[in-house]
Formats: sequence, structure tokens, C-alpha cells
Amino acid sequence: MPGADPGPLPTDIVITGLGAVTPFGWGVGPLWEGLRRGATAIGPFSRFDASRHRTHLAAEVPERPSPDRLGPRVSLADRLAVASAREALGHADLDLRRCPERAGVFFGSSNGGMLESERFLEAALRDGRRRARTSAIVSQQLNGPGDAVARALRVEGPVETVSSACTSGAMAIGGALRALRRGEIDVALAGGADSLCQITYAGFNALRSVDEAACRPFRADRAGLSLGEGAAVLVLETGAAARARGARPIAVLAGEASACDAHHMTAPAPDGAGAAEAIRMALADAGRTADDVDFVNAHGTGTPLNDAAEAAALHAVFGPRTGSIPVTSTKALIGHLLGSAGAIEALATVLCLVRRELHPMPAAGTLDPAIGLDLVIASPRPLRRSRCALSTNLAFGGSNAALVFTSAGRA
Amino acid sequence: MSRAVVATGIGTIGAHGAGRERLAEALAAGRPLAMEIDRSGGWHSPAGSRYAALAPVLDLTPWLPSAQARRLGRPSRFALVAARMAIEDAGIPALDGLRVAVVLATSFGAVAFTEKLVEQILIEGPEAAQPFYFSECVANAAAAQVAIGIKATGANVTLTQREAGPVLALARGAREVAEGRADVAIVGATDEMTPLLHGLLDRFHATARAEDGRDEAARPFDGGRNGFLAGEGASAIVLEAEEAARRRGARPLARVGRTASGFDPTATASDWGHGGASLGRRLAAMLDGQAPLESIDRIVSGASGSRRGDRLEAATLRAAWSGRSLPPVVTPKAVIGEYGGGILAAGALAASGARFGFPTAWMAPDPEMTISPHDGSPLDAPRRVLLTGLAAGGAAAWAVLERI
Repeated sequence: MPGADPGPLPTDIVITGLGAVTPFGWGVGPLWEGLRRGATAIGPFSRFDASRHRTHLAAEVPERPSPDRLGPRVSLADRLAVASAREALGHADLDLRRCPERAGVFFGSSNGGMLESERFLEAALRDGRRRARTSAIVSQQLNGPGDAVARALRVEGPVETVSSACTSGAMAIGGALRALRRGEIDVALAGGADSLCQITYAGFNALRSVDEAACRPFRADRAGLSLGEGAAVLVLETGAAARARGARPIAVLAGEASACDAHHMTAPAPDGAGAAEAIRMALADAGRTADDVDFVNAHGTGTPLNDAAEAAALHAVFGPRTGSIPVTSTKALIGHLLGSAGAIEALATVLCLVRRELHPMPAAGTLDPAIGLDLVIASPRPLRRSRCALSTNLAFGGSNAALVFTSAGRA
Repeated sequence: MSRAVVATGIGTIGAHGAGRERLAEALAAGRPLAMEIDRSGGWHSPAGSRYAALAPVLDLTPWLPSAQARRLGRPSRFALVAARMAIEDAGIPALDGLRVAVVLATSFGAVAFTEKLVEQILIEGPEAAQPFYFSECVANAAAAQVAIGIKATGANVTLTQREAGPVLALARGAREVAEGRADVAIVGATDEMTPLLHGLLDRFHATARAEDGRDEAARPFDGGRNGFLAGEGASAIVLEAEEAARRRGARPLARVGRTASGFDPTATASDWGHGGASLGRRLAAMLDGQAPLESIDRIVSGASGSRRGDRLEAATLRAAWSGRSLPPVVTPKAVIGEYGGGILAAGALAASGARFGFPTAWMAPDPEMTISPHDGSPLDAPRRVLLTGLAAGGAAAWAVLERI
């Protein structure tokens, strides 16, 4: 903070644990298997009755294999968040009880427990307003998932929820990076969670932004996004803290940035200027250049405008090299997880970086020559060089965020 | 890079009206700005709350043309008006060429449009959903509309951490400037209060109600307090690097000092916990060093009249001050209500020497807490103001504002 004497500050922020709940299942293992397979999880779903909606597909998280003991007054988004956080912490082999005040939670969510709020309102309309049970909406708040993680893990450090639509998860991870660099905390659980709900499903349909088939990012015949649900959490630590406890870093969160188009509420700036600015700033923050980037996990929603703007941003940053940088979109496989999208895509980026293999998108759709990207399609792409990766997110309201990850070997 | 950051402008709209002068008058008077809320929708409990601090109908055209206002939800309108007012107050001639960040907090977002949209979906069917309602009911709509309205291309962040949100927004915005990512940051909070939201808060017993022969009123730290006055509106503060502000001849209102945040894991999802000792240690650690406890001579408290929230606030302050006398504590939420970010504007006003009256509804101290709001007598302008925000659900945030 201004005026404070920060002393020597940590410069390397490493990832030591990963956790996820996605339409491919509960855990990072099922996610990676699903990503490699390249077959989409987008299909018919039962989270709510979609029969009256214009479209009928989404990517839904399967039933939990065992109860989570969180009790009945917890939203689905909270449950997904807590499960992901517990997996990530276990993966990091970290016990927060030793120093809860040096741990923070940084979370993104667009809907919180909106699914449960809708059920409350449905009951109120059906049974009468005073009869509807308010217990149904206890955890409907947008801060629900992040708070639920902090309570479940007894965190006493900073807890911050970002609700900046589709950039929420990435911005939350960026906030964690800053807090670690400032030395406010030694460890952060950073991620996001969102569940499917009718308001976003009907809302995106009202905007005619949902594809009637599974989404086809960057394809010529792309016709919109597909919605999904899930959560992802990254355990971030200062390199010093990780080394001190003998933890082995998975990768490095090297840089972050965000910028706004200030253009339109629902349409990106066509030239992708804000997204390009966020990417350039994130690379500078990471001490890297555009030439260092080995692959991109793109926002890639499958909407005509978003994909065109994002491609324009990538061309603006990478210039003639753009067509030779492999690009994938995780949304093609698990849908758009909204406030959690940035988190799950960050996690997928780290998996690809570490395993030196870029997950594919399904083969459906024809290539769009106007896009000019080297898309990874149908089967995983081994990466000859896998040292630096970029994850991008673009959101409603013109918000853009970028994260840069590097391999742990260069930390 | 760490630059000194100053507040140079305040914009505010709420039950007090529009502008920092109206807010200062209301805070000096100490009277709750309560008006009756529409309970005809059937959301309230029969003996429940009747009042809220609602923004009156105002002529906002100096900051927001009517044609533009019609395309915005109320939280977006409030936020854009507050932001433009703050920029005007800061005397910044043009934002062109400046990298401007927008960091806004909201507790509930655009509730009215969300209600309408859900009702359309559930009653008329999903195809009846209006795109306009959807795009305006996302939580970041207000921050985005501010960015579009003032052409702010820096970071655009919406924080949703309930009652801690405004102070967290101040801290995050200050860091954007301090660390050189923004030349200017517009920080603030916005919220609207609808009959449905008010009714739900009432049914959770979060809001004050008439009880035991006492009138309905928010009474922070009072022994008979039974809830807060729900409010609405928006406040925005312009933050700049001190050097840049002085270079352009601005007269800063306050310098942003240290900030900190923490979490009380004993909280429940919808209420405050009992972890005051731990939060107090965190607060004391923040104040240790450059802003020692002794130098804090005013506390602008987020206490609202909430039973458990105020108890936690008192325990936290007591633990931080560990037996020493607290400086005068003022409680703006007794006047302007909870939500809408007025606490931020009140903090900036306090740091620039504004007078706070005694909350007129206050009756008797709580023997458990032994904190009473300042009696309203004139005080010297403070050197350092501590601004507090403890949220239902567990989050906590604090910031120090320094007199310049």
C-alpha cells in the first residue's frame, strides 16, 4: 500500500495445487482425461427444465460421487467451490491451520447461488410470498462460493470476490498474485465457481448468443456459446514459502493484467483493443515478450463477435507469428463457466503447460479463414516448446483479463 | 513502484440527495433518512421493518441525460452519476490520455431487473426474457456503464463482498494507482433497495423493526439495537497519485494510508461471527508501524445497528486497541443506512474535517460493548481516520485516510 515499507517482496509466485469440478467430473483427473479426449461434455441436461427455452444443451456437472457434509443450506456453486478448494489443498499437501492469517481466498463468481434464488422465487410464485422458505436463499449471494471456501478451510486472511462477468475468475487469480507479491499473504486459494441457472440461460438466449448445437469457437459457422458449470481452484504460494516447506511447484503464475474496452455493454470492441492491451500488460508484468508465448488458451466462446474480436487482439499482439501459435478453447469441451471460466481455463492452461500437450477442440465446424489462428482440433497437440502460456478472458461490459504462466523450471 | 495516493473528488447520491454537501449536512444532523418502503408485495413479515433510506427522485440530468438514464438500471444510474460528480468535484478537466481504473462494489447488484427477469422467465416463459434486463442485471453492469460513460480503459473490477465491499474497493483502486497501473481510479459502491430485497432482509431479521416500545431505527452500538436501516445509492471517490494531483493544482481531500482485510471463519453465510479477537489482531498489525494506533483520532465505523455485526465490530476495535481508549467513533450508517457506499464518502468527508452529529435515534449503550457514537460536539480535524467494514459472511476490511 502507498506509504508502507514493504521490505523485500516476493517475486516468484508458484502454483502448488490444483482442484476442479467440471462437467467431466469431480477432480482434476477426470478433467484432464476429458480435455485430452476432445469430445465435448455439452449435451442435454437436467439442472432445470429447459424444455421451454430456445436451446436445450449445456455442460452440467455430474452427481457428486459421495456427500460433502456441508449441510443442506449451501448452494451448488458453494459446494463446487469447496470441493475444488479441498482437492487443490490436498494436491498441494498444505495445512492452512498452521497459519490461517497468512492465507487468502480470491474468487470469481457471476451468479453465486442464483440457481437456489430462482427456486425460492418459483416457490414464492407458486405457494405465496410469505410461505416461501428463506432458508433456500441463504447462500445466494455472489460472495457465497469464496466465503464458503474460507469458512470451510478456516482462512483468516483476505477474502475477495470478483463479479466481473466472464473475467471474474481470471481477475480473482490476478488479485491473488498481487497480494502474494505485496507480501500480504504466503498462500492463496484462487479460482471461481458458478452453477447453471435459468436467468443466464434465458438471458443469453434472449441475446441470441447461445448456439443450438455445442459451441464451435473460431469456426466459420459458429453461432454462439454453450453454457456450463463448475469450479476450479489454484493454490498459489510465494516461491520462498513453497521452497521452505519442500513443496514442488507445478508452474509459475508470472503475470496478470486487465483492461476495459469502454465500448459497449454486450459487444466487444471489434478491434479487440482492450483485450490486446490486457495481453501486452500481462506479458510485461511477467517480464516476457510476445515471442515467448508457446500457446494460447483463448476465451473462445463461439459467438461471432467475441471470437472475431479476440482473434483481432491476438493478431495485434503477435503480429505475423499469430498463425503459428497453437490456440485452443476449453469452452468447446465444457461450455462457458461464466465467473468460473477464467479459473478453469487457467487450470487447463497449467495442465497443458506442464504436460507439454495442448488439449484439442472437437472437429465440428469449418475453419474460418478470417480468424487466421492455428487451432488445435480433434486430437491433442504435443508441444515442442512449452515454457510460457497465455490465458485470455473477455467479458460483458468490455472487461478483459490475461494471465501468463511459465513452467516451473524457469521460476 | 509505490506512489502516494490521494482522494481528490467525492460523488454521492442516496437518501441524502445528490452531492457531498447534502451528505455532509445529513451526517451533521444525525437524523436517520428513513422513509416508508412499499410492503404491498407481501414479501415482509407482518410485524417487520417498514423503513429504508431510499434515494428520492432527483434531477440527475446535469450528470446523466434522461435518454441515457432510461437505458440503465438504478445501480448503474447511481454509479454513473456518482462517478461523474466525483470527477467534477476533483476538477479533472479531461480524462483523455489517462489510464482510468474503475473499482466498484455492490452487495446485491441490479435487484429490480433481476426480479423482473426471473418473473418473466418463470411466469411468461423464457422466451419473454428481455435482453435489456439481462445485460443490466449482471453484477458488473454498473462498473461497465461507468467505464463506457467516462471512457475508462483501465482495470474494470466489480467486488461483491457485502458490507466489506466499499472499503475493499477503495483499497484495490488505491493499489491500481499506487502500483502504477492506473493514473486515476474511480472507486465506490452502488446498490438499490427494492421491496423484495427489503422484505427478505426483514425476514432474516437483519433490518431494524419497532420492538419493545421502541421506534424502528438503526442504533449502532446501542443496547437495544435490533437491525440496520437498509439504504441505497452510490458513492464514488476519485483517487490519483499525489504527485500528479499536486502537479495539476488539485486540492486533495485525504491521502489513502494503509489498508488491510481479513476473514472471520466463525461467521455464517448470512450473519456475522464472533472472531473479534482475531480480526482485532489483524487490524492492530495493519496499524502497527506507519499508522500507529495513537495517531488514529477518528473511527468512521461500519457499525449499522446489526446485533451481531456491531458486537463483532466492537470486539474487533477493543482487541486492536487492547485496553487503550478508542478515539471518537462516528456511525454514518445510522443516518444513511447500510449499502450504497455512503460509508466511503463519509470517510473521505471525515478526513477532510466534516462534522458528524450524534445519531438522534440512539438511546443507551450496550454494557457488553461500551462504545457510544461520538456525542456530536465539535472536534479538531483528524490526522488519521480509520474506516471499517465488516461483512455478514465473514469478510472484513479496513482503510486509513490521512488528513493532508
